[in-house]
Amino acid sequence: MNWSEHLPIVPVVLPLAAGALMLVLDERRSTLKAAISIATLLLLLVAALALLRLADSPTAPVYALGDWPAPFGIVLVADRLAAAMVLLAAVLGLAAMVFSLARWHRAGPRFHSLLQFLLMGLNGAFLTGDLFNLFVFFELLLAASYGLALHGSGTARVRSSLHYIVINLGASLLFLIGVSLIYGVAGTLNLAHLAQRIPQTAAVDRALVEAGAAVLFIAFLVKAGMWPLGFWLPSTYAAASAPAAALFAILSKVGFYAVLRIWLLLFGGGVGSELLFYGGVATLAFGIIGMLASQELGRLAGYSLLVSSGTLLAAISRSDGAVTAAALFYLVASTLGIAALFLLIELVQRSREPGADVLAVTAEAFGLADKDEEEPEEQSGTEIPAVMALLGLSFVCCALLVAGLPPLPGFVAKFGLLAAVLAPEPISARAWALLALLTLAGLAAVIAMGRAGVRIFWAAEERSVPRVRLIEITPIAGLLALCFALTLAPGPAMRYLQDAALALHAPQGYIESVLGRP
Amino acid sequence: MSNEALLIALLGLPFAGSVAAGFFPANARNREAWLAGAVALAVQGLAWWVYPEMAHAQVLRLDLGWLPALGLNFTIRLDGFAWMFSVLVSGIGFLVVLYARYYMSPADPVPRFFAFFLAFMGSMLGVVLSGNLIQLVFFWELTGLFSFLLIGYWHHNAAARDGARMALIITSAGGLCLFAGALLLGRIAGSYDLDVVLRSGDAIRSHALYLPALLLVLAGTLTKSAQFPFHFWLPQAMAAPTPVSAYLHSAAMVKLGVFLMARLWPVLAGTDAWMWTVGMAGLVTLVLGAYLAIFQHDLKGLLAYSTVSHLGLITVLLGLNTPLGVVAAVFHTLNHATFKASLFMAAGIIDHETGTRDIRRLSGLYRYLPVTATLAMVAAAAMAGVPLLNGFLSKEMFFAESLEAEGPLRAIDRALPFIATAWGMFSVAYSVRFIHGVFFGPPPAGLPRIPQEPPRWMRFPIEFLVLACLAVGAFPALTIGPFLDIGVRSLLGAQAPSYSLAVWHGFTTPFVMSLVALAGGVALYALLFRYLARGEERTPLLPAIDARLIFDRVLLVVSWRWARSVETLFGTRRLQPQLRWLVLAALVAGVWPVWRAGLDAGPLPWSPIDPGLAAAWAIGAVCALGAAWQAKFHRFAALMLAGGAGLVVCLTFMRMAAPDLALTQLLVEIVTTVLLLLGLRWLPKRIPFAWTSAGARAALPRRLRDLALAGGCGLGVAALAYAVMTRPLPETISSYFMQNAWPRGGGTNVVNVIIVDFRGFDTLGEISVLAVVSIAVYALLRRFRPARESLETPPRPQDADDDLLVPAVIMRLMFPMAGMLAGYLLLRGHNLPGGGFAAGLVLALAVILQYMAGGTRWAEERLAIRPSRWMGAGLLLAGATGAGAWAFAHPFLTSHTAHLQLPVLGELHLPSALLFDLGIFSLVVGATGLILIVLAHQSVRHPWN
Amino acid sequence: MELIVALLIGTLAGSGVWLLLRPRTFQVIVGLSLLSYAVNLFIFVMGWVRGGRPPFVEPGAVVDFARFADPLPQALVLTAIVISFATTALLLVVLVVARGLTGTDHVDGQEPDA
Repeated sequence: MNWSEHLPIVPVVLPLAAGALMLVLDERRSTLKAAISIATLLLLLVAALALLRLADSPTAPVYALGDWPAPFGIVLVADRLAAAMVLLAAVLGLAAMVFSLARWHRAGPRFHSLLQFLLMGLNGAFLTGDLFNLFVFFELLLAASYGLALHGSGTARVRSSLHYIVINLGASLLFLIGVSLIYGVAGTLNLAHLAQRIPQTAAVDRALVEAGAAVLFIAFLVKAGMWPLGFWLPSTYAAASAPAAALFAILSKVGFYAVLRIWLLLFGGGVGSELLFYGGVATLAFGIIGMLASQELGRLAGYSLLVSSGTLLAAISRSDGAVTAAALFYLVASTLGIAALFLLIELVQRSREPGADVLAVTAEAFGLADKDEEEPEEQSGTEIPAVMALLGLSFVCCALLVAGLPPLPGFVAKFGLLAAVLAPEPISARAWALLALLTLAGLAAVIAMGRAGVRIFWAAEERSVPRVRLIEITPIAGLLALCFALTLAPGPAMRYLQDAALALHAPQGYIESVLGRP
Repeated sequence: MSNEALLIALLGLPFAGSVAAGFFPANARNREAWLAGAVALAVQGLAWWVYPEMAHAQVLRLDLGWLPALGLNFTIRLDGFAWMFSVLVSGIGFLVVLYARYYMSPADPVPRFFAFFLAFMGSMLGVVLSGNLIQLVFFWELTGLFSFLLIGYWHHNAAARDGARMALIITSAGGLCLFAGALLLGRIAGSYDLDVVLRSGDAIRSHALYLPALLLVLAGTLTKSAQFPFHFWLPQAMAAPTPVSAYLHSAAMVKLGVFLMARLWPVLAGTDAWMWTVGMAGLVTLVLGAYLAIFQHDLKGLLAYSTVSHLGLITVLLGLNTPLGVVAAVFHTLNHATFKASLFMAAGIIDHETGTRDIRRLSGLYRYLPVTATLAMVAAAAMAGVPLLNGFLSKEMFFAESLEAEGPLRAIDRALPFIATAWGMFSVAYSVRFIHGVFFGPPPAGLPRIPQEPPRWMRFPIEFLVLACLAVGAFPALTIGPFLDIGVRSLLGAQAPSYSLAVWHGFTTPFVMSLVALAGGVALYALLFRYLARGEERTPLLPAIDARLIFDRVLLVVSWRWARSVETLFGTRRLQPQLRWLVLAALVAGVWPVWRAGLDAGPLPWSPIDPGLAAAWAIGAVCALGAAWQAKFHRFAALMLAGGAGLVVCLTFMRMAAPDLALTQLLVEIVTTVLLLLGLRWLPKRIPFAWTSAGARAALPRRLRDLALAGGCGLGVAALAYAVMTRPLPETISSYFMQNAWPRGGGTNVVNVIIVDFRGFDTLGEISVLAVVSIAVYALLRRFRPARESLETPPRPQDADDDLLVPAVIMRLMFPMAGMLAGYLLLRGHNLPGGGFAAGLVLALAVILQYMAGGTRWAEERLAIRPSRWMGAGLLLAGATGAGAWAFAHPFLTSHTAHLQLPVLGELHLPSALLFDLGIFSLVVGATGLILIVLAHQSVRHPWN
Repeated sequence: MELIVALLIGTLAGSGVWLLLRPRTFQVIVGLSLLSYAVNLFIFVMGWVRGGRPPFVEPGAVVDFARFADPLPQALVLTAIVISFATTALLLVVLVVARGLTGTDHVDGQEPDA
């Protein structure tokens, strides 16, 4: 085996090693830990990119753990979708980590380890080709997310985390019931193997499998925040510390990922599509309402996550390759944007504290420092200090992305989505509904974000400039830069995701790359 | 230079300039202005560079790949019409920059201003030069964004903020509709490419989706061009700095709507639907705007409503479905841009010099500002449509068209000329008011400062524009003729009608109408003079409804109050409802598919009942019910009952051929109970109380519902389990494990081999979970101090053992034994029940027993363990064991069995899985120990230390 | 026999759900542990073999799979036990802390009427 064949395991083992190593290290050596974390994340990024290249082939790379043959042992399957998600996770992880170096990583013990384990859980969940193993990694990422949600403690965090934990424990039990039920009837846990077996099961047993799968999907949809299972999401995310919340932006996508993968693989996107659609639409509508109804920026961002979840669910419910591709593009764009928003919110709402400084650095670094300033006379603007201008700019970008307006890729994604949805003849009632709701969502985002932005950046009575470090702006800028890149040259990404979507809708390739040709 | 480069420069320059401007220091007013002016001039120059091509009706086109996957290119397309607008936009843009240089106060943060301004200009050009609909919408939305930022430039005053927000919301709502419309159009035409769309006019007009598409597109254009009923945002936007108003509301923003309507005229126009919607909207706006303009006291307000009215005029002309109407519309677009821009600038000068824009406070300014006054008079005359000025020509065209109009409704056709004349009178009236009210009459009283002529170059833009008005008005064919011709031909192509731009068509009906309008307008002003002088706020003959107030109110109610109530109605922040939803969803999901398929039990017969076990299960069930019953008030009892249920589960495993499970379950049982006991005392005391009948009745429905849910779930789960148990086990993958456990796994305990080898990866994840959880627990409890009142009646640190009823001495003795037991379990695990996990739990239990026996301090003096080290080491060991396989070019976690010959013990084989198990052991000790210890620490901790 | 096992599972699950829906944190945690018992049993019986022997193979012997209990569900249960143990511990600590911070043991961190 040459090294590239080991690549699929790297995204799991790397964070594991780093996290464990940092457990051995003493609590106080935060600089060393920071160094290790950053190094690990950079390596992870490289690995993810390599994996992206490796996965871009008709037969997905498969990694048989313990060298046990496919249906018996656990396999990792690094197809295009999985690789893309791993990359996304790595990017968010890096951004969150860099951001946290300013202060958050010292707000509580073992922050670095928690973050590494969260990434391990995410990558494992994206890569695994085994149903029960998926459960294990779900638990891992959830456990880490509990830790991160509680990171920094405080009444609000503990209270919302209590809800978060209880609900997800319930969901985990459902996950177990679903998995075991499926095993009890189909006699296997390997996804590809299941995809082969389920069609062969007798009708009477089929019902049991579907019951199991349905229970399973409830567990996924809780994570995806589908109405009425997602009320915990805005509160929890709003209460969480900024880096944690930024990472959670992808957490809610894991549920969606699992739905997409398993639904298309095991059931060919047939059964229960209407439920997915109506659930998605309800989520979308509820997200819109919530955005309008929330004054607090954190909740606003949380509800925008619900909007994106709803959009995705409703979109894939059509089980149409073109739509799914656009949906995946939308997923990437919205995840990046909302993560940036979560990071930004913390800076915007930060009141002046003696601890943080280096405002000057930021100002110079961006060449926006305002030198001499006369007293503003009647009818003349007051200069927004460089930092505020910068934050304002970022905020506008995030708002545009959430609203799906140009020049951010939300627009491109929405175009792709709607164009694909409207394509078939005649336009179905569902397509119209989706069109209307997405338009409304855009408007709601404009109204809500506009309201918030005007309040924060324009109407602020005495504007105490938040002390912001360069190291905190950089990740936000980076994420937004990625977004702009997606607008200017969406071609390659769209192509890749289209291939990924087509592969999803033709699972035979996946099955064969796991179990070999029959 | 090549045309491609030219096109790119045409579009790219403003944006580049904008970025550059953003980085200028705050006080660099001149440099900023130079930059912006240079950019605008450059664009203008580039436009004229390609004049020859345009004159020969060529279309320059550049396709750049953008979204090939979706068949979408980034296309820059320059035809005559686009060219005409580019010249207009950049030309007026340059003049406005020049004006702004002097207008903006030195204290204004000009970098922002010019950055936004250039970006806005760029977006305008982007729309104009778009070669496909989606790209057009792209830039369309950008104009909305930047106009928002420009209007809100002076964000410290509330009017600017509100105006900006209103403009943003209305125009972007329109923009979103336009987006939908564009999608539909593209779908009908089969492509979003503008050329294709323009070619497939008939297909579109005859398509079933024509009407929705039309309405959506118009929703975009009419909002942008401030047509009734969306007209009200424009006057609010007057809070912007005057240069912004002069640009946005003369040549730029508001012209986008009419631009697009003209652009798509060949595709969408020609139907009754078009005439009804566009024509009607225009007609109402035309009259309403002009009428309202008369009664404005704010100079900019007057100009704003006149703008609304003139846009209405253009819209009507487009709505008439006649090519000549389009010509008139395009022509008037140009004329309006020239005189309205100059008037705005003039108003700005007056405001600047006198410090007020209120006509009631102004008068007789001619004395102080003769030049400005003269210029303003000419411009106003053009606005009123006085002969020999450009406004007159397009107005004549409109009057002529109004006589020809053939709509679906005769009555309207008949009324049109009169409506047109009335509009003419109104326009004359407000123009006269503008001039007479401001420049004539007695000298002004109580002005903040004595006005004087502005600097030379601040006036220059106005002079230039006014000159244009005169020149066009006097020699239309020579001046504007070719220019207009290029635009119209490229727009209408073969449909382009022949028209004459003569000043004098003879003594025609339209001319008469003009005269009537002029005379009538002056008369009207004279009539209203006294009323206006009284300076009342509300407009006569109109109900005092303020569209803006209505909008604000509606927005507030819908987007805030209703949203809030709906959120609380369909959402919740409380836990119980959420759990109810979850349980309900699960129940439905689990039962419905089975129900639908009408499932019944499997074929297999029941196996004989084992009475002992059955009895145990009965007890277990009772325990569970008891726990459910008691948990609220008698926590300890509930805990014990739950434990009883757990023991029954253990027993089941034992009897059902799963010794490993039994062992593990038992140990976990104990540890959990200890944990709960440690945690229990921090919960507040509950005193049982009898339900008051009222309380009971209130709670009854809720409890019944929960009871139903619980019962349903119980039955559901039972049914599923039963259904599976009575079916023959399918051919599962386990057979493989049974066969290979010994030969390839090197162990006889298949379960353990699965855990550490076949599915070792699961275990790796599982122990990571354990590690993470203990970290979280530690992090949470490290700084936490329990509430003081929960320490009021603290049991002494040691007396946790009173709960366990085990003498301390025995527990101390147990430690070494427990250690040995742990080792034993660990080593035998691969072949007999046991394994790293069980062993770890045992040791952890032993440790915590020491804590209970001796108390925290005693214990930590004797055995100092660093739990997190144990955890880290364990994980690293497990991971390293897995990674070791790489050395032998095997995948991660591939196990290897070493066969050793030892003198005494004989042959001993040592599978690498054992190392893995050792890792598990170490981690479990660390993690469990950590959790237990931090909890135990709470017992000795006091709020004051 | 099968029926009785099923009923036991059902009872455990039912009581667990009932407690899960109660307003006090302690009730919730007890409910969750009851539920996890039920789920563990459920997983276990998914590999139900009548009169199966414990899955221990003697070296070299030819294995007749039908005579043994299905080992895989057992392995799954082991993992499930560990994980539910871990999460229960975390939940316990969280609710202790929540009670300390909010002063109440109501799941919403405040008394319903307050």
